[in-house]
Amino acid sequence: MYRTRSLYTTAGFQVHQNIHWEMLTDDQCEAIVATTLELLERTGVEIQSEAAQKVFAEAGCFVEGSRVRIPSAKSEWALRAAPSRVTLCDRFGKRAMLLEMGQAHYGPGYTPHTYFDQTTGNERPFALADVETYGKLCQMLKDIDFAMAGGFPTDVDAEIAELEEFKVLAGATTKPILQNVKNAKQAKAIIDMAAAIKGGADKLKMDPFMALHVVTAEPLTLGADALEVITVAAEAGVPVILSNELVSGDTAPAESAGVMIVALANSIAALALSQFVCEGASFITGGFFTNNDTVNEMRPYGSPEVSLLGAGYANILRYLRIPSLGFAGATDSKCSDAQLGLESAMSTLTAGLAGNNLIIGAGIVESGVASNPALLVLVDEIACETRRIIRGVEMDEDRLARGVIEDVQPAGNYLATKHTRYYFRSEQFWPTLMNRKRLDDWVAEGSRTLGQRTQEKTEQLLASYSLPTLDEGVAGAIDGIIESAK
Amino acid sequence: MATLEDIAQAVVDGNAKKSKKLAQQLVDEGLPPLDIINQGLMGGMQEVGVQFKANVMFVPDVMAAAEAMAAGVEIVKPLIEAGDIQTLGTVYICTVKGDLHDIGKNLVVMMLEGAGFEVINAGVDVSPEKIVEDVRKYNPDIIGMSALLTTTMLHMKSTIELLQEEGLRDDVKVIIGGAPVSQDFADEIAADGYSPDAVAAADLCKRLVGAAA
Amino acid sequence: MRYRTNLKANTGVKMNVFTESQCQELVFAAEEAMWLTGTEFHDPESLEILRKAGCTIDGIIAHIPPHITERAIQTCQKHIVLCNSRTGERELFLEGGNAYFGSGPCTPFTRNPYTGERHRATRQSVAWATKVLDALPNIDYAMSLGIVQDVSLLVSDRHEFEQMVLNTDKPIITVCNDQYGQEDNIKMAEIIAGGEEELRNHPFICLYAEPISPGVHCIEAAQKMVYGARKGLPTIYTPCIMAGGTAPATLAGVMVQGLCESLSGLVLGQCTKEGSPFIMGGVYTVLDMGSTIFSYGAPELDLMLAGLADVAHYLKIPLFGTAGCTDTCVIDEQAGVEAALSMAMTNMSGANLNHDTGYAEYGTTSNLDLVVIADEVLGMARRLTAGIETTPETLDLKEIEKVGPGGRFEPAEPYEEPDEGTFEPKNIRHDYQARLVDRGAREIWEKAGGKTLTQVANEKVRDIIENHEPEPLEKGLAAKIRECVENAVGHVPGE
Repeated sequence: MYRTRSLYTTAGFQVHQNIHWEMLTDDQCEAIVATTLELLERTGVEIQSEAAQKVFAEAGCFVEGSRVRIPSAKSEWALRAAPSRVTLCDRFGKRAMLLEMGQAHYGPGYTPHTYFDQTTGNERPFALADVETYGKLCQMLKDIDFAMAGGFPTDVDAEIAELEEFKVLAGATTKPILQNVKNAKQAKAIIDMAAAIKGGADKLKMDPFMALHVVTAEPLTLGADALEVITVAAEAGVPVILSNELVSGDTAPAESAGVMIVALANSIAALALSQFVCEGASFITGGFFTNNDTVNEMRPYGSPEVSLLGAGYANILRYLRIPSLGFAGATDSKCSDAQLGLESAMSTLTAGLAGNNLIIGAGIVESGVASNPALLVLVDEIACETRRIIRGVEMDEDRLARGVIEDVQPAGNYLATKHTRYYFRSEQFWPTLMNRKRLDDWVAEGSRTLGQRTQEKTEQLLASYSLPTLDEGVAGAIDGIIESAK
Repeated sequence: MATLEDIAQAVVDGNAKKSKKLAQQLVDEGLPPLDIINQGLMGGMQEVGVQFKANVMFVPDVMAAAEAMAAGVEIVKPLIEAGDIQTLGTVYICTVKGDLHDIGKNLVVMMLEGAGFEVINAGVDVSPEKIVEDVRKYNPDIIGMSALLTTTMLHMKSTIELLQEEGLRDDVKVIIGGAPVSQDFADEIAADGYSPDAVAAADLCKRLVGAAA
Repeated sequence: MRYRTNLKANTGVKMNVFTESQCQELVFAAEEAMWLTGTEFHDPESLEILRKAGCTIDGIIAHIPPHITERAIQTCQKHIVLCNSRTGERELFLEGGNAYFGSGPCTPFTRNPYTGERHRATRQSVAWATKVLDALPNIDYAMSLGIVQDVSLLVSDRHEFEQMVLNTDKPIITVCNDQYGQEDNIKMAEIIAGGEEELRNHPFICLYAEPISPGVHCIEAAQKMVYGARKGLPTIYTPCIMAGGTAPATLAGVMVQGLCESLSGLVLGQCTKEGSPFIMGGVYTVLDMGSTIFSYGAPELDLMLAGLADVAHYLKIPLFGTAGCTDTCVIDEQAGVEAALSMAMTNMSGANLNHDTGYAEYGTTSNLDLVVIADEVLGMARRLTAGIETTPETLDLKEIEKVGPGGRFEPAEPYEEPDEGTFEPKNIRHDYQARLVDRGAREIWEKAGGKTLTQVANEKVRDIIENHEPEPLEKGLAAKIRECVENAVGHVPGE
């Protein structure tokens, strides 16, 4: 490797340490935030829980029945009080995800009630065993950072389904778990289960390995359940995610900037509640945004609007220094085809570039109807490609390769240089699923599509899965909690 | 005490410096030079071939290994009678007239050398006349021609025709490769073989000289 | 009404791989390679042009002093417009961050859309491909998607041009075998445009040449560059390099070498005729170390292309980029993934003229199903890149306050083409209307045949081939073109 001798420095040289990507400038974010604060102060939001209304009133907000108006100063105080970073650990207490500074992490979703079998093309109801499948895959996949149920198990009592999900996931993976809950009762039970696993509520507070996830799907409205869950989480010192599931041209304005405002109003109101209950409580927000496709009469999961709105929101939350949740890795396709590939790829790329800290949704197909674990495995590969792109191009004297170019150019080649041997492994992305084989070799190996190769990898991962199970005593304690919740 | 396994490992590690040092040590220890080459150095290259096929080692690793082997061979070669060094055969490789592309061709050269062939790399823009002249000079077992353009592909045909005219066609096997080339085209111009990439080219050459692929 | 001051806004996605300092360093490193290392020119006339301009010639290696490179960067035409071949009207503005897309040239093979057979491209396959490109709404220009091989190979480029110009009025990038092919194709273009000056003032063609990496300008490439500059027609000079093989293994090293080669072409063009229009570019990717292919689907390709866009913007020279291509041997999920990643990245990077849409099987085979799918992907990528508008109008609270908490908002109007003769401002931010991707419920999809996206794309390909009528050439022109093609004289390479 030819290089100069002097250890010279280059002053005043600014680089992009990773790829620089933004949809909204800071000024644009400020404009949206200012508009939202005005909306919160003068129109306010519907807070559908008396207990929560009381909290807002005591904190100095204007409360008239269920309508709460939050003075801008209070909103801003809450935004500053909430931590700009949240660490989620693995089950053993080691830090696993740093939700800060636009670091993007990927995982599955949680909504479909149907399981899609990619090999046969058949569908059947989503079951608890499928949650275990998702947990195992999340454990085995290198670029999947957290677990979520993957779907909604229909073979258990709906009232406690979320508790069963959590138990299964906690047994299947050591990675952090995002757990959706319907109400405060479930939230309390999940927190108790998590504490039992950690050996105490304080230990859980110190090394949280899960975050609660709760939803609002209405403009300028936080339902009683969501408010109570946020309160419970803040009191227990457990991270909570308030997700906006909004549709532009229906539950949000058709205009994209309007979607941002409405969602942000929900988010800030929820965040304010968490901070009024407990200053400094870990709070994460974001959403799954889509558009009202009136031509097809549906709400797509793979449209460019999903990526567009999600990226805009991610930029705003980064500006506010609040950890964010986004959505990617899903498709409207009903089978495993190029549409599945292109839709999941475009969203996975965009959510990563935008810097959403938690990106859920990998594996959701058929416009949210079904769940396909093979798609999770594919998104793992796409996430790896996305991360190579985000990493950017490193430049220094050795990498600029002036000396090597001098040796080889013109008309030589770089195959045999020491420079190539040193760098080729680390500079490149190494595919495990994407085909790079020539036609003859691809045919000789069975002319398999990416979908088929992904299915094989899914089966291999599940077959080679191994993990220390939960301590028997802990497992017993968890069962007890579920029983008493029934 | 250096061993043949040590020098084989130096080849696998692509460590030319070590390979050279060990070669000298083994010579000083009195090991038969042919053993040093065949079991030590070539043994290392064979292991490299296995790891390359298994996608554990890659092209730059193979090139480093080849360099390490060459460094060791250089020490041992003077001690051996020229005729005693076994190669699988001699392959003459070039890019055809009017075509300056050579990266694919160079990959083939590398794979063939690694497989144990002696390779004459005639470079780029080689006319049919020059090929004929070189066939007379080097007497190779196989000629390999590469082209990256559909227009220069035509020179492969004229080369084979010229070899026929000069009465040399039966003395040598002719194989072709390159992006626009195909088995159909090879059949059309009555070449002896076509391969889509460098690894397949090495296997093809082994088959043509009657060695185990 | 609000009047916020000092508001800096993005009117679309802003993406940068390199800062200006980094762009400068890359260009300096490239200039150094052009000067200290030098590149080979296998054309005596080119060497003479460079020598007269002040370069040092050492055998066939030209050492270009940095000040000549910098002068060339200043003098080349930076505002290049490509026009419609029938009307001469402006269509593509190759400047700034404007991104246009089209297909690629010169695949030896193509997939027959009816039989799926992989065969050598023919006049008919190029005609069909051009028709598809003509019909698709998001495709901006045409390239041949195949080397015509059912004619004498030495004049294949004339036949390619003929088939393309018959089947589309969109601008055409023509890749010729050599200077003579380029002369013939330009002659045909001049006939269609109505004269040499008319073509130069309203160019509907763009020329193309490619060095052999690393640092070798073969005679055909150099001569095409010189001829294009003399004619004052936009010429693309672009290396296709792979990290670890024909370029250094580091991505930064690839950038330096690629720039060295592309800018060498620029210098040759400007020394031939100062002010001639030049388009820099490249296909920068990795050598896949497992299979040794030049990888068209690698994420590094997208990343380096985005970096190259930064450098091109820094230099203010239009850029020829790459997107919509794949390594997969069948149009499956991978084709979708790689098309999406490359088109989104390339569009967001603001590369001006982007090619290789429809390149499959690691660049050996063109596939029209992929072109149709990529057209849809491009529409989606454009919607995404157009971003979110934050103006007093879009931030107005009136509608939100009127609808109120728990209310419902009006859906967006589906996009409709404005009526002929009416004026309506262009809106690039309406909700994306899916033309190809399926959004229906499962029962509806199954009833319609349960087709994959590729199957639907293929039906569209056939529909276009059978029913689409491109805008025809003016009466009599087709016959004149035919005459030129028939009288074309081919030249054997190397003689």
